[in-house]
Amino acid sequence: MKDRNLPLALFYVIIVIFLFFPILIVVPISFSNGRFLSFPPEEFGLRWYRNYFGDPVWMSATFRSLRVALGASVLATCVGTLSVIGLGRKRSKTSGALTALFVAPAIVPNIIVALGVFILAVRLRVSDNELTLICAHAAIGLPFVVLIVGSAYRQIDPTLERAARIMGAGPLRAFMSATLPPLTPAILSAGIFAFFVSFDELIISLFLMSSAETLPMRIWNDLRFEINPTIAAVSVFFVVVTTLAMTLAEVLRRRAEKNNAA
Amino acid sequence: MMKRLTILPGLALILMLFLIPVGIVFQQGLFDPAFTTEHFDRFVSRGAYIRIFWSTLQISTVVAVLCLLIGYPIAYFIVRQPASRRPFLMFLVLVPMWMSILARTYSWMVVLGKEGIINQALLWLGLIDEPLRMLFTTGAVYVAMVQIMLPILIVTCFSSMTEIDQSLLRAARIMGASRARAFREVFLPLSAEGAITGTLIVFILSMGFFIVPALLGGRRDAMLANVISSQVSQTNWGFAAAISIVLLGATLLVLVLVRGLSSRLVHHHEEAH
Repeated sequence: MKDRNLPLALFYVIIVIFLFFPILIVVPISFSNGRFLSFPPEEFGLRWYRNYFGDPVWMSATFRSLRVALGASVLATCVGTLSVIGLGRKRSKTSGALTALFVAPAIVPNIIVALGVFILAVRLRVSDNELTLICAHAAIGLPFVVLIVGSAYRQIDPTLERAARIMGAGPLRAFMSATLPPLTPAILSAGIFAFFVSFDELIISLFLMSSAETLPMRIWNDLRFEINPTIAAVSVFFVVVTTLAMTLAEVLRRRAEKNNAA
Repeated sequence: MMKRLTILPGLALILMLFLIPVGIVFQQGLFDPAFTTEHFDRFVSRGAYIRIFWSTLQISTVVAVLCLLIGYPIAYFIVRQPASRRPFLMFLVLVPMWMSILARTYSWMVVLGKEGIINQALLWLGLIDEPLRMLFTTGAVYVAMVQIMLPILIVTCFSSMTEIDQSLLRAARIMGASRARAFREVFLPLSAEGAITGTLIVFILSMGFFIVPALLGGRRDAMLANVISSQVSQTNWGFAAAISIVLLGATLLVLVLVRGLSSRLVHHHEEAH
């Protein structure tokens, strides 16, 4: 049994190395001190990290991206959770069609959304505006919130909320005390997902913003003209941040599943 | 009844930042201000655009098929492992998805470049005398796109495979079927739908790729999204919108064709038994 699985196991290891390859390469480069790219690096140091954290252009792009991603994530999570509640537990033709509508922005290529949002924003004179960007990113993050929170919501026992209502709680209070607590981990996990959908998004920002850069725009503009190891430092920094956040999201999701199953 | 109304903010967001914008794309592509096929005529009459259209379809198809060929056996391997080990094996597949696509593309530029890591290693080993041209080729685009899309296919295949009752396989084996036959007659048909869904998702997402072909591909590897973006920067909104409609239409058409074809195949298979 074991022996017959060996070729497949070997194949699995090779593919995992392939999947990790970009990360494995970027880490040593980010810690090199050479002016030019060399691998393995000749001299190690924190030169590119100093470059990143010391450059006001990179820093302002980073803070702009953090701001936009935070706004988009909060907006998508609130609006998405409300939508899940509105869609309800029972599946009907209407709720099926509405769910499809909420998930659609994840399937339609971002470039098409970007073009449409850009033309609309120009017409309404709200292009080159961080708030518009936040709303656009919230719209493409919404599908993930509806899917993640939706699947958690359908697992929650509805009798709890009904019991609270019978005991005399108003609809808001019943929701807040009976339905929201078991839903919280899924909501947080969805929020982290929506955050990174925005944080990594390039094309909508590229069309919409003209006077201010987000971090992906900064990286994009840098990559087109020269290959600069500062990007390696930025990448590693954010791989660490993302891995921590996503691990947290996964732990929260697992805990939610376990709690609901219990 | 009040509860139903909580859907309204979500609908408003989708309406203002998705439905109306997509509607505007159609309006820009088809009206100027009266109905016109001008932009589509332009698209069809220039060989360059038609070529990019086909190469977008080709790149997406090749990436989707490569992901299926690599990802299906990987998902099969994971699902055959003890249940306690599966989450960790899946975790390793999913972690690379958390790295920004721009950062990963940068990484491939460093690896595949003329003075990149692979060329330096090959030169040092004396296997080649001159650096190979790997960056700015279709091959580079395939490598990077497969690295990005593979986890999506594996997840989709894996979740459909976990639903397969393993005792069915055991039953087939007890009834005297060989390992290969049990796989072909029982496991393959039951996991086919998940595999097709995964391949379609990869195809759909690949059709809209922008960063990878722009930074890793050569001049001839541009995809429709790259043309849309360059038309927008030249403020040719109408033409950019027409290309967007072509992109959306082609994606949906392939989706419907493959879905129809595969459901007929699966149905046919079921009837044959």
